[in-house]
Formats: sequence, C-alpha cells, structure tokens
Amino acid sequence: MTAFMPLVRGIIYAAIGYAIGAGIALSIATTTGEPSTEPMIVLGFVFAVIGWLMGVGMWTTWGRGWFGKSTTMDITGGWERYLRFNVDHKVIGIQYITSLVVVFLLAGLLAMGMRYELMDAGQNVFTKTTYNTTMSLHGIMMVAVAVAAVMGGFSNYVLPLIIGAEDVAFPRINALSFWVVPPVVVLLLLSPLFGGFDTGWTAYPPLATQTPIGGLLFELAFLTFGISSILGGMNFIATIITQRAPGMTWGRLPIFAWSVLAASVISLTATQWVAYGLLMIIFERIFNMVFFSPPGGNALLYEHVFWFYSHPAVYIMILPAFGAELEIISHFARKPLFAYRWVVRAFALIVFLSFIVWAHHLFTSGMGESLHGPFMILTELISIPTGIVFLSALGTLWRSKLRLKVPLLFALGVVFNFSIGGLTGIFLADVATDIALQDTYFVVAHFHYTIMGGEIFAIFAAGYYWFPKITGRMYNETLGRIHFGLMFLFYNITFLAMFAPGTVGMNRRVAEYPPEFEFMNLITSLAAFALGLSFLPWIYNMLNSWISGPKAADNPWGAKTLEWQTTSPPPLENFDEFPVVTGDAYGYGDESVVHAKFPNSTNAVPAEGD
Amino acid sequence: MTAAAIWVLLTIIGELFFLQMDIFGEPVTKQAHFIDEAFILLMVLAIPIFTFVITMILYVVFKFRAKGDDLEDAAPVRTHKKWVGFWLAWTTILCLVVIVHPGYTGIIELRETNEEEPDLTVNVTGRRWQWLYEYEGRDVSLYSKDDMLVLPNDSLIRFIITAEDQDVVHSFWIPAFRMKIDAVPGLTTYFDVNTTHTGHFNDDVNFRVQCAELCGLDHSLMFTRIEVVEPAEFEQWIADEAA
Repeated sequence: MTAFMPLVRGIIYAAIGYAIGAGIALSIATTTGEPSTEPMIVLGFVFAVIGWLMGVGMWTTWGRGWFGKSTTMDITGGWERYLRFNVDHKVIGIQYITSLVVVFLLAGLLAMGMRYELMDAGQNVFTKTTYNTTMSLHGIMMVAVAVAAVMGGFSNYVLPLIIGAEDVAFPRINALSFWVVPPVVVLLLLSPLFGGFDTGWTAYPPLATQTPIGGLLFELAFLTFGISSILGGMNFIATIITQRAPGMTWGRLPIFAWSVLAASVISLTATQWVAYGLLMIIFERIFNMVFFSPPGGNALLYEHVFWFYSHPAVYIMILPAFGAELEIISHFARKPLFAYRWVVRAFALIVFLSFIVWAHHLFTSGMGESLHGPFMILTELISIPTGIVFLSALGTLWRSKLRLKVPLLFALGVVFNFSIGGLTGIFLADVATDIALQDTYFVVAHFHYTIMGGEIFAIFAAGYYWFPKITGRMYNETLGRIHFGLMFLFYNITFLAMFAPGTVGMNRRVAEYPPEFEFMNLITSLAAFALGLSFLPWIYNMLNSWISGPKAADNPWGAKTLEWQTTSPPPLENFDEFPVVTGDAYGYGDESVVHAKFPNSTNAVPAEGD
Repeated sequence: MTAAAIWVLLTIIGELFFLQMDIFGEPVTKQAHFIDEAFILLMVLAIPIFTFVITMILYVVFKFRAKGDDLEDAAPVRTHKKWVGFWLAWTTILCLVVIVHPGYTGIIELRETNEEEPDLTVNVTGRRWQWLYEYEGRDVSLYSKDDMLVLPNDSLIRFIITAEDQDVVHSFWIPAFRMKIDAVPGLTTYFDVNTTHTGHFNDDVNFRVQCAELCGLDHSLMFTRIEVVEPAEFEQWIADEAA
C-alpha cells in the first residue's frame, strides 16, 4: 500500500489546492460581481496542479530545498518507483511511454467510434455534440501522444544513454515535465462530462470562447501540456550540449540525438506561442478581455498564433521519428548511415523552414492574398531537406546486408508511408489545389499519412528496437511480424481510401454527409476496424514478453551506439564504467572506426550473445 | 538494371491507372478547370517518385537481405558525392518547377478576374447554421435554409462573404466549383467564379454551398442547394423572385 502513497497524497493535496484556488476566485468574483464558475475552475486547477506535484514527491525531492531544508531523493526500488516523482530519466521515459500507450489506445477507441458512426451517411449512435466532442478528443489526445511519445518517452529513455551521459541536464525539471501530464489527461477525460467541446483540437475562436465548461477544461489541458513540452525541449537541448561523453564530438553524435536536438529547439520556442494563444482564449472567457472575438477582437490573429506553433509542432513529431528510423535502418543494414552530414544539415534546414511556413494553413482563411505566393514557395522548399532524409534511408539500404527484423520492417513502413504523406503535402502547399482540398478528407488522410504512417510507425519501430534494452527481455518476433503485416496492410487501406471522399467533395469533422460518399466511407470504416484489431497481437506480445519473455542480451542487435554497450536494462547510473568516444557510431564494415572505448574494462565493445 | 526496369514499369502502370480515373468529373467553372489541371499535373509528377520509393524498398528487401542470422557488415560506403549532388539537383529543380507551374501560374489564373466587373455579385453572410444571400442590385435575398441558390451560366460571379458579428468562423465552399474561402466575423472575403456548365443539386450533390470550417452543432447541415441555369432562365427567376 505504501507504493500508492505518493499518488494518494497527490490527489489529496490537489483537492486541497483546488479548494484554495476556487475559494480565492470565488471571493474576488463576489466582490466584483462577475460570474464565478469559470474563474473558480481556472484558479482551482492552477492550485490543484501545484498540490498534485508537491504530493507526488516534488516537495520532498525539490520543494523543501527552496526553504533551506534538506531534500531526499528516492529513486530506487521495484515497480513502486514508477508511481512517484522520480528523477531517473529511465523511469521517466517508461512513465511517459506507458501513460501514452494508454492515451493512444483510448484515442484509438474514439476513432473506432467515429468510424462506426461514419459507416453510413446518416446520424446513428452519436448525437452531433458527442460526435464533435469525440472527434476533438481523438485529435488532441493523439496530438499529445505524437508530441510526447517520442520526445518524452523514447528520447528520455534513450538520449542520455546514446550520448553516454548519466542522466539529463536537469533531472528534477524532467520529472516535473512528466508529472504535469496526468492532470492533462484527467482534464481531457472529464471534459465530456461538462458539455464536451466541439471546436476540434484547433480551438478556433470565437467558437472556442463560447463552448461549455468542457471546452475550458480542454483549453487548460492543452496549455498545461504545452508547459510540459517547453520544459522537455529545454532539458534536451541542455543535455545534448553539456552531457555528452568525452570524445562525443558533434560529428560523432548519433543521428537520433541530432533529431531530438532539432525537435527540442522547436519544442522550446514554438510551443510558447500556442500557450499564449490558449491563455488569451481563457482570459477572454474568464475576464471578458477581447483578443480574438469581434467586435474588437480579430479571429484571424488566433489562427496565425496557433499555426505558428502547430506547424512547427508537426516537426517536433516527425524529426525524432526520422532520427529513430535512420538509426534503425543503419544498424539493421549493417552499413554506415548514408550522407550523415547532409542529414544533419537537412534537420537544421527543416527546423529553420518550419517556422516560416505556417500560413499555408490559412490559404482559405481570408488573410491577405499577397501572402499566398511566399508561403507556398517556402512550404514547397521543405520538400528538399525532406528528400535528403529519403536519400539517406535509401542510400543506406542500397548494397546493405539487411536483417529483416520487426524494427526494420516498421522503419521501411515509415519510408513507404511518409512518401505518400510527403507527396500529398505538395497538393496542400499549392494554392490552387489547396483551395479545393482544404478542410476535406484529403487533408485528414494526408496528415494521418505523415503523423500516423510516419511517426507512429517510427514509434513502433523504436518500441520493438529498444524493447530488449528497456525491459531486459526479448519480444516475440513472429507476433511482431504479424502485428506489422496487419497494421501496415489495414493502415494503408484505411487511409488511401480516405483520400477519395476528400477529392470528390466531402468535408471533414461531420457526423453525417451526403449519401453519395457512403461506399468509400464504408471501406474506410471496415479497414479501420481491422486496423484497430491489428494492435491486439502487439498488446499481447508486449505484456507477455515484458513479464515472461526470454532474457535479452545486452546488445541483441549488435548495434554500435552507446545504449547497447551497457546492461539490459542499464544500471541506475547507466554505465558501470563511462565510455570514451573515439569515433562515430556507424563504423560497420570498417574496423578503423570504433565508437567507444571503456578504458578499465576488458570487453570493450560487447558483441551479440555475450 | 532490374530495379530501373521495375521502376519504369510501375511508373507506366501508375500513370495509366491514374489518367484513366475520372476523379472529379467535368469541371463546371473556369477555376475548377485550372484546379483540376493543377491536381492532375502534380499527381503525374508525384507518381514516378512514389514508384521509385516502392521499387527501392522491394528491391533492397529481396536483393540485399542477409542470409541467416549472421552479423555480416556491408561495405562501408558513407556517402557518394555524385549521387548526393544528383539527388539535390533533381529535388531542387522539381521543387522550383512545381513552384512556378502549377504553383504561381495557378495563383495568377485564380486572380485573373480580380479587375473585371462581375456579371453578378452575391453578398453572403454566414450565421450558425445557415447562409444568407443577397443578389446585389437585383432586389432578391434568400433567408431560408431551404432556398435554392440559383446562379447564371456563362457568367463571372463574385461572392462577397462575411459572418455575422457575434458569430463564429465558417467557410463558404462550393465543391462543384472547387472554390472556398472562410466567412470570418469582422472580415470581408471574396472569390470569383466563371461558370461554364449548368447543373443542379439533385443531379450532382457537389452543387451545394457547404460550410467547411467546424462551427459547432449543426455544422454538417449548414449547406445550400445550388442550381446553375442559362442566363435567360436566371433573369426570369430573378424577376419572379423580385416580384
């Protein structure tokens, strides 16, 4: 029972915090005569989050130090160490991954519900309000998974290991960035009970300022999640700059670390914009301030602020996915990563361009027409650095010694899917075709091809690849192949079929539609159900292998990066002896390139099966 | 050589398959014609790239697969100056081509009517969850959700669009015309179409105005049926409505 004490304490402190915050808001509102409900929720939530953080352990590990008192850090122990404020990056990585798997499955169930509704043209199981809330929740939950599963989850676990560090630069901030996520999930799940929100995850005002309280909960959740993202990005930048092992020069940094650095720059700087945008919506609601709602406010202003974050945000999602994909391809091709330096340049260029393409989301918004041309040009230019990522992947595969294990299959899936996602992006960057396709199912299919087909497939690649390192056990290869085969097939049927209604006139975000589009929607729905079922062998495989799979070797893939040069799972401080880096991580077929040496250890680079 | 042959074959199959598909049907405005042509051109250019990726994946999986479970390394080729240069060159050139045509040319085509005096101007106002129409200078307005928006064929029609002040953002989309633009409270937007075909909602569901920006509860039902008729018939209809 003591294992659950931090969580129980967190909940109690959160309740106390809520009472304090709501009480302050109520007393202010009473004196000014303003409506008090929404201010009570906002201020109550702020205090509740502080109470929650302190309760789960931030007070004892960190907060007491602010008042000159002694702090205690309790990071050892069995499974109970995952249930409290823990500063070990490996624990935080697993906390992120497991929480986000739950969010992913819930959001996936919502998608199943939407596809059930869309099987025919009429309105069946959902009312219009519940459909809109379901769609909006599916969107924001999957965005949270896409942003945080690679960055918060796998980056947290792998990044310090892959650069030969003991931990991240700011371990306590790292724990903080995870522990604000549970309140986000709670708010999102509570939202349907308070009227839901029918704005989509984009939350365009004036609609977003007029939603029921459920909408306010969503806006608070999004804002809070942004804080987690900002802190995480800052931490990774500091970690990569300051915590690299001796000899880990920039030219030797594994490509996954480069991709995390690139995504972190966006995460730190761009997320602040959407946070301000949401804060202004909340202020409009609770203080009657006018920012976005006419008369007096400017609705287009929010769209610019929102997409100034949300377009770069797709590169927070896809850049680490590219990094993981290229990492896996190189190690399973037994061949150095092709054109490594060009990939690093491409990542830098993508980060730069990602900040100056946002208005391609606004070609039909009514913004000045003089902006159409420049934003079309800038957006289409991104295809050049993205092409370099493809060059590197295909160049590495060429004349390789390919080992077709499950992580590689998923990485090849990324190459295939993202080629469709990238190419259909051109149609949405072109002003003329975008005017026809904007807000249709073509857009929905396109971004599912980039984010699900690209990033989520890369997350599964990463999940299978690092599973033996994280759990110390091996997954079942056959079940993994079945999972890949089913998921790849039904994923592609689902979303290829989804392009069709978009090109012929079906708009997105609707529960009912003209009966002419019924057949294509039926195909999409049936394939989507099969896609949903394809995750069952994965769930079984992961759970069963984690509990009773065969013990994994320290380096089952014979990969050269540093995370494989320690035990599986790694010790508390990651390496029994810290490595000295002497070359890059891609010295396949070239004995002169040795990635790391362990001066005091006899077996310098353990090979497979030791 | 084998890979190149597979690529060429897949590309030919892909192009032929796409070009015999009738995705959009007959374009019914000049603007729809431009947009469909841009779409088809982009698709024709995209297919060889897609088939190249498929070919490469299939080829390497069958050709370079390691035998058994041994950890044999491949030859350590780290980069290839000429291939990288060639790759950068063709992606850059193709990107610039697409920016110029259909990119810039498309923008110019869609705007070429901007300076012209339209044959008909329709003022459109979005309100949750219906569209209101006023035929400018013709003394006809449509206030009911069930009204049919009647438009003349062979005419330059300008829609001037806004949303009511206390309302939310909508998007004025006519799928058959391929054109859309948001209806934003506090902002006036517009688009032009040159109609070239007659048509009726009952024959083609895309002859409708559909709200395309999520606006709450009845967003999906925020549509108006459209009929495009010959100009003489249109004048008759206007006269009947005004009376």
